[in-house]
Amino acid sequence: MGSGCLAPRRSRTANRQGHAGIGSASQHPSDEESAVAARTLPDYVLRVPTGHYRALNPTTKLVIAVAEAALAFVTGAWLGPVVILAAVTASAAWAGVLRQLGVVAAITLPVVASIMLVNTFLLPGAHDPIVQLGPFAPTWSGLAFGLQVTLRLLAMSLALALVYLTTHMDDLLADLERRGLGRRAIFVVGAALQMVPRMVDRGSEIVDSQRARGMASEGRFWQRARGVVPLVGPMIFSALIEVEEQTMALEARAFTAAGRRTVLRRLPDSPRQRALRWGLGLLTFVAILGATTHSLRLP
Amino acid sequence: MEWISKQFPTRVIALMPVAIAINIVLGAIVQQALKLPIYLDSIGTILVGVLAGPLAGALTGILANLIWGYLLPAPIGTTTIGPFAITAGVIGLLAGLWGYLGMFRSRRTDVGRTLVAAVVALVLVGGLAYYTYSRAYASAENFQNATGFDPAFIARSQAFFFIVMIVFVVLIAWALLLRRDLGAIFALVAGLVTGIVAAIVSAPIAAVVFGGVTGSGTDALVAAFRAAGSSLYEATLKQGLLSDPLDKMVTSFVVFLIVTSLSRRYIARFPNGERMLGPEEE
Repeated sequence: MGSGCLAPRRSRTANRQGHAGIGSASQHPSDEESAVAARTLPDYVLRVPTGHYRALNPTTKLVIAVAEAALAFVTGAWLGPVVILAAVTASAAWAGVLRQLGVVAAITLPVVASIMLVNTFLLPGAHDPIVQLGPFAPTWSGLAFGLQVTLRLLAMSLALALVYLTTHMDDLLADLERRGLGRRAIFVVGAALQMVPRMVDRGSEIVDSQRARGMASEGRFWQRARGVVPLVGPMIFSALIEVEEQTMALEARAFTAAGRRTVLRRLPDSPRQRALRWGLGLLTFVAILGATTHSLRLP
Repeated sequence: MEWISKQFPTRVIALMPVAIAINIVLGAIVQQALKLPIYLDSIGTILVGVLAGPLAGALTGILANLIWGYLLPAPIGTTTIGPFAITAGVIGLLAGLWGYLGMFRSRRTDVGRTLVAAVVALVLVGGLAYYTYSRAYASAENFQNATGFDPAFIARSQAFFFIVMIVFVVLIAWALLLRRDLGAIFALVAGLVTGIVAAIVSAPIAAVVFGGVTGSGTDALVAAFRAAGSSLYEATLKQGLLSDPLDKMVTSFVVFLIVTSLSRRYIARFPNGERMLGPEEE
């Protein structure tokens, strides 16, 4: 019975992972085919990234994203964020993930709407009303401030989202481990990434089981809210109990052994990428220095 | 050096991903699905902090927010949570301190003392809940146009708020009166202090990165304070001081319930296990 119950869950998880790693999973030209391939084959079988941006070393993509996110905050109110947003959009188009990037942008829409409304209507000290609407007076300076915050936020969010849209997390972690990041850090990040979808799945399993015992999990809000405790309790405790087994499994696999693990898979890198990484790092450092000492003034 | 390495045995390394996932999944349910003016996204952080130590707690918090913000695909991943990694780190540090002080230890005692404690708890929780409620919902209605919340949505959020508060009070009463556990009060006080510190740390982040709003249920509060004439930093600080202490009190209490429900054997194997358990009960 156990395995019968688990099989559909597992395939659902595979779906989600396929979706998460859309960028790097396939060498097929069409999106549809690659989606099918990502669903039916395990992650490690097809791993030939296509396109110039995706084929960059994962660490290079990470450095680009972090540099862009930092620069969006220190290079002026308008110029920096706009340039970076343009750069991110261009790289996404180059990598063929413009649509997915649009989805990420759409998710920030409620925040953006909040930012625009709150600032346009309620910026303290703004006295240049656009129109007077009863008690509300939207102001130009509020609108400008809201736009600035939105641009910065979008530049930062999309730059970092582009990493997971174009990179398989396993690749990134493997590359970082080869560069010397400790195995404990790699395990914590990698395991946490796998744990979240598993816990969501387990949540729906628990809801199903509790429903089988007669818990009302649909209907009015307060009825559903009453179901939170019988859902969250088992979810937390079963996960915590699992820690015991995981500890033993890790110890049995020489997790605490001295020395470094050998990473067999070497991801392609080039001197040009290394130069790009150092250059971006230096540029970001100089820009932050300039912004904190107020010697860098951009529009 | 030993102080650092003692906080990261394999057991803690195995616990950290679980704690991170608990933070993200519960936080996503509460903030994105229920839109409550609290967050409930630091249960795992505080759990690791009290069981393993300040550094382990801080790392759990920081990694949870970074993973939630930048490594998980939508709809769970939300980039707005990332910058609050700093706050999460501070919460983890404080939790480690509470663990060293034994604040989350179970303290069984007699009925007379727990009755006094229950009155103290009622004043603390009641006062804070009333403060949050009166500010969050009385004025949110007035500013629905400004915030984009429609009235039906406020009613729903209000209903959830009531349910959480009722569950919270019932659980405190259960811990104090039925289990006669004075430790609940210590956990609540630890939560209150954590919440105030978290609010002070979060305010400049919310102000600089988001212009004061983050898309969670607390935006209406910021809008209300802005309309009352506060500066951006003041508005986000006031919002934080409304949401964070209550949130961290609920979170601390949940962690207290978790650690007192786990077996002694389970707790004892963590670096801070001995201080968590105290002397063996008769």
